Amino acid sequence: MSDARTGGNTTSRADRLVRAAEKLTVERVLLYVVLLGMASFYLIPIESGLVTSIKTSTAVIETVPFAPPGPSGFTLQKWQQAVDALLFGMGNSMLYAVPATILSAFIGSITAYGLTMPTWKQAYKAPLIALIVAGIFIPYQAVLVPLTQFWAQYVQLGQLLGPLWALGISNDYAGIIELVVTHVAYGIPICTLLFRTYYKTMSKEMIESARLEGATLRRVYRRIVFPLSGPMFAVVLIYQFTQIWNDLLFTLVLVSTESSPAAPVVLILAGLGTSLEGQDFALRMAGAFLAALPTLAVYIFFGDEFAEGVAA
Amino acid sequence: MATLELDSVTKTFQDGDDEIVAVDDVSMDIADSEFLVVVGPSGCGKSTMLRMVAGLETITSGTVSLDGRVINDVKSQERDIAMVFQSYALYPHMTVRENMSFGLEESTDLPDEEISEMVTDTAELLGIPSLLDRKPGELSGGQQQRVALGRAIVRDPEVFLMDEPLSNLDAKLRAQMRTELQRLQEDLEVTTMYVTHDQTEAMTMGDRIAILNDGELQQVATPLECYHEPTNRFVAGFLGEPSMNFFETDLADGTLTGGGFEYPLSEGTLADLGDATGLVLGIRPEAVEIREEASAPSDFEATVDVVEPMGDENIVYLQFGDGESLVATTSGFDRVGAGDSVVARIPEGAIHVFDRASGEALHNRTVEADAPEP
Repeated sequence: MSDARTGGNTTSRADRLVRAAEKLTVERVLLYVVLLGMASFYLIPIESGLVTSIKTSTAVIETVPFAPPGPSGFTLQKWQQAVDALLFGMGNSMLYAVPATILSAFIGSITAYGLTMPTWKQAYKAPLIALIVAGIFIPYQAVLVPLTQFWAQYVQLGQLLGPLWALGISNDYAGIIELVVTHVAYGIPICTLLFRTYYKTMSKEMIESARLEGATLRRVYRRIVFPLSGPMFAVVLIYQFTQIWNDLLFTLVLVSTESSPAAPVVLILAGLGTSLEGQDFALRMAGAFLAALPTLAVYIFFGDEFAEGVAA
Repeated sequence: MATLELDSVTKTFQDGDDEIVAVDDVSMDIADSEFLVVVGPSGCGKSTMLRMVAGLETITSGTVSLDGRVINDVKSQERDIAMVFQSYALYPHMTVRENMSFGLEESTDLPDEEISEMVTDTAELLGIPSLLDRKPGELSGGQQQRVALGRAIVRDPEVFLMDEPLSNLDAKLRAQMRTELQRLQEDLEVTTMYVTHDQTEAMTMGDRIAILNDGELQQVATPLECYHEPTNRFVAGFLGEPSMNFFETDLADGTLTGGGFEYPLSEGTLADLGDATGLVLGIRPEAVEIREEASAPSDFEATVDVVEPMGDENIVYLQFGDGESLVATTSGFDRVGAGDSVVARIPEGAIHVFDRASGEALHNRTVEADAPEP
């Protein structure tokens, strides 16, 4: 009996295989080949980076970049080195990336609310929106000189925050505060635009209803609009955090030296593993992956809401 | 509770260089605890009018006053008016309880326990206490409708404004809510202004109805008055389903001629018409009698074109010799078939006569008994 059952199973499995094979047309096979090709095209650089980061320096030279290291060529030492070199810088990056992200998202949300919900004349609203949209298209490079002039000549934070340095904090941290303000200012236009698009889809009647029920504009924002902005906050937080965390240009201008105690991770990473003797590829790869971890974490953390916000 | 007065209220919108008049010089009074239904075709300005009362639109000219106090410049959140929207406009992130408490929390200083008690009472009144902890997304359309209603009721406002609150419900539920809404309004005795495009709602719910067309007020009266004594051709044609039959005619020697027939008028009717000669004859489908043989001057031969059986009644489309058509409703038991030759009697007691140029009603049908108060 048991034989008969096994026999029955094999036939049905064989049947299934046959049926699957029958469905495989030439087009289908081609499609899968192309898809596989594209997937590997995108994944190989990341895979190469990952395997390189766990190779010894000799293994890096002796093996092809995307091949995994042999038992003798495997080491976690480069990761250890990267952590040692970057951890403090990552802390510094957090110091400006987190406040700048939250502030720009929040200010963007309020600005968008002001530009969307209350009924004021289009004649006044339109130029304001145009100005904000124009702000998105100003390239970073174009503002570098005025930006340094602004912080070096007009607002000298280093002097203004004197008491802070007396507490024993390095006055290089003035650069971090400058970065927060600069990134917030630069992030407001895109955040405002994103939130405005979202608020325009929000039920107008719902807002009117809240107004009729006695809520002031401020209360409507706090109790209705803000709690409903979750998905768009996820989008903006992810976008802004990645943007600010990865930005090198402003940090180069405002903090400038990687030896500074306030140096953000991007500055240190730029010089990591480079020396007169050549490039330490394994260390550079380990550093790059380590520095990318926080943005990855933010994506995972807000992923679900991000999808909802993008769909909206 | 309050009286609401609209005095020559006008609203114009600017569209480029054009000025669009949405509401044109509308004046009406809504008495304390009255249920007034504003009805009209889409785009006639009825919603705009409601929104002006709510303070959601500015008033171009004229005044809106509540209990004799002009409220043109009072902000909507200070008007003590509750509005029920067509889309219900519930707050999706709040539970039903929070939705219903929102207004009280924002507009009063009542302690939390009292608010909670009022919300529970209102929920019981509407039969939704079991829904209090759910979110609007988990409710059916009818339940959401009740919550929207509850949110308005719990605030105990001076005036209810309702903007087509039933139009998103299916037909059966709509009929049920119609009765319930009426009962609630009678119990609560809150002055109510109710906007709809549905003439059944207008006829059945309102103490009075106001008919609007192109931003202009056509008539404000009880439903039956509007039905039997319309002030003009628009009102006559708008109310009633199927709508009134109209024939373009000319008056000569006491006879209306046109549309392929001659209709002699009695002295009494002629007296109403004055010296107007370009006239429109109107007759409601249910007033037309279908007979076998002509026996009076108001009987006309016609051919049955189409019959739409509705069960209790038939809607009969009749064709006169020269192509003019007439709609009649007859009892569902009358056996008339397409192609039959019949005689349609248009009783003089039931005719309406309108001025062709102005559309104004010159003569309305005689109603035997005075219209009963609804």
